[in-house]
Amino acid sequence: MRAVVLDGIVLGLAFGLLGVGMTLVYGLGGVINLAYGQIVIAAAIVASLVIERGESQAVAAGVGVLAAVGLSVLLDLTLMRPVYRQHGEERTLLGLLLTLGAAFVIGGLLAWRYPAGALYIFVGGDPISVIGVPMSVGSIWASATALAVAAVLLVFFGATTFGRGVRSVIQDETGARLVGINPSFVRTVIFALSGALAGVVAIAQSMTGPLTVNAGFELTTFALIVTVVGGLGSVAGAFLAGLLLGVVNALSAHYIGQYITTIVLLGAAALTILIRPRGLLGR
Amino acid sequence: MLEVAGLAAGYLGERVIDGIDVEVRTGEAVAVIGSNGAGKTTLLRAIAGLLPRMAGRVVLDGKDLTRSPAHRISRTGIAYVPAERHLFPAMTVKSNLVLGAYPRRADRDTLELVYDLFPRLRERHRQQAGTLSGGEQQMLAVGRALMAKPRLLMLDEPTTGLAPKIAQAAFEALEGLKSGGMTLLIAEQQVPLALSVADRGYVLENGRIRLSGTSEELDRNPEVRRAYLGIA
Repeated sequence: MRAVVLDGIVLGLAFGLLGVGMTLVYGLGGVINLAYGQIVIAAAIVASLVIERGESQAVAAGVGVLAAVGLSVLLDLTLMRPVYRQHGEERTLLGLLLTLGAAFVIGGLLAWRYPAGALYIFVGGDPISVIGVPMSVGSIWASATALAVAAVLLVFFGATTFGRGVRSVIQDETGARLVGINPSFVRTVIFALSGALAGVVAIAQSMTGPLTVNAGFELTTFALIVTVVGGLGSVAGAFLAGLLLGVVNALSAHYIGQYITTIVLLGAAALTILIRPRGLLGR
Repeated sequence: MLEVAGLAAGYLGERVIDGIDVEVRTGEAVAVIGSNGAGKTTLLRAIAGLLPRMAGRVVLDGKDLTRSPAHRISRTGIAYVPAERHLFPAMTVKSNLVLGAYPRRADRDTLELVYDLFPRLRERHRQQAGTLSGGEQQMLAVGRALMAKPRLLMLDEPTTGLAPKIAQAAFEALEGLKSGGMTLLIAEQQVPLALSVADRGYVLENGRIRLSGTSEELDRNPEVRRAYLGIA
């Protein structure tokens, strides 16, 4: 039981980061990035190619994250431009459509070029005991990475001028423009940040097990569930929901069966939304 | 200080205001009066850069701002307080004020100045902006605008949703700002209040300037008296 919960927390931290990447982009511009899972996969494939070329795992991880950032910025500067020219529901719909298209294109290209593509970063060493449960060094590294990134995000949004600026755009875009903030620039930076988070998730997940080229839509689904459960636009909510759903996922996989965990997850999400329509920490 | 020449602006390609010439000199308080729908808000939004200008020019201290977007205009020295205020509701009063100075760090002196002007904001500096009363929100909106140390402060209907007594107090605060040297451009439907603080005024009708003059001239003008002051 304890081992299962710990596994859930390791997974939940990654879910949390995914959720943050998705929830910020939504909060800032009303766009749900359905290509998010494919950006994670792109980072993983790039990193695996770098490893194949004989570079160290650390270099590969760095290049993978950079690739995800680059891909995200590219998407923001091309595909998202017409989206942000629209407003309200039209923007959300066009955003869904175009990012879904991007998901098929990126995912399809990767699966076609690298059908057996997978990233597995091996971290050596004997398992370490955490509250009496032996944990692989990879899992501990993955969790530590996620926690460190979470801490950086917390400081960034809580204590920096730019972080405050980002929150102001989420709360009132016109107000933000009136105090001198350029929402378009903020959105590009945050899209890039969401790409970096996707890259970090790819690296962290691959430390606990192989991340394969076909995992894109599953990751997007997780991110979407976490975003909705946590409350759209809420960073802390995304982390909380990620942890919660990670544990639910691990418990249901262990006690009920791997094949219906997604159904259980969606059920848990539906239940949360019934009780709290705006999500755990949504406004 | 501010020169607006031949300005046209509106929504969806439709010109709401057209051919507007407005001038504001340093240290002056200028009122834009007119009935609901005359185009007062459109004019201020166009100057602030929230609306695209379809024709004309906006120049501040010799600097052409006609093509500048809103965030650059606010950094150039024009602060705009819209009628809807557009505060950041889930942030504290203090965070709202600090953001007013963006992208610079808020300096303590300016913050103290705002708190001295509106002691109520000092009392509530840790309260969320969304939970403030209408009058307090208006104070916060003006305070946030002042944090950027603007050269020109533009206000749209500062008395919207305020009880008469509080509206009166709001204009007294504006009077205070003016005597402190602030240049003001105020759009207001409550003409007597607007003319009480303004040196000069423009009367906007159907998107065009119908009349202009000193506050005394407008106050004496039979047309203004009939249309806006309810005096036959």
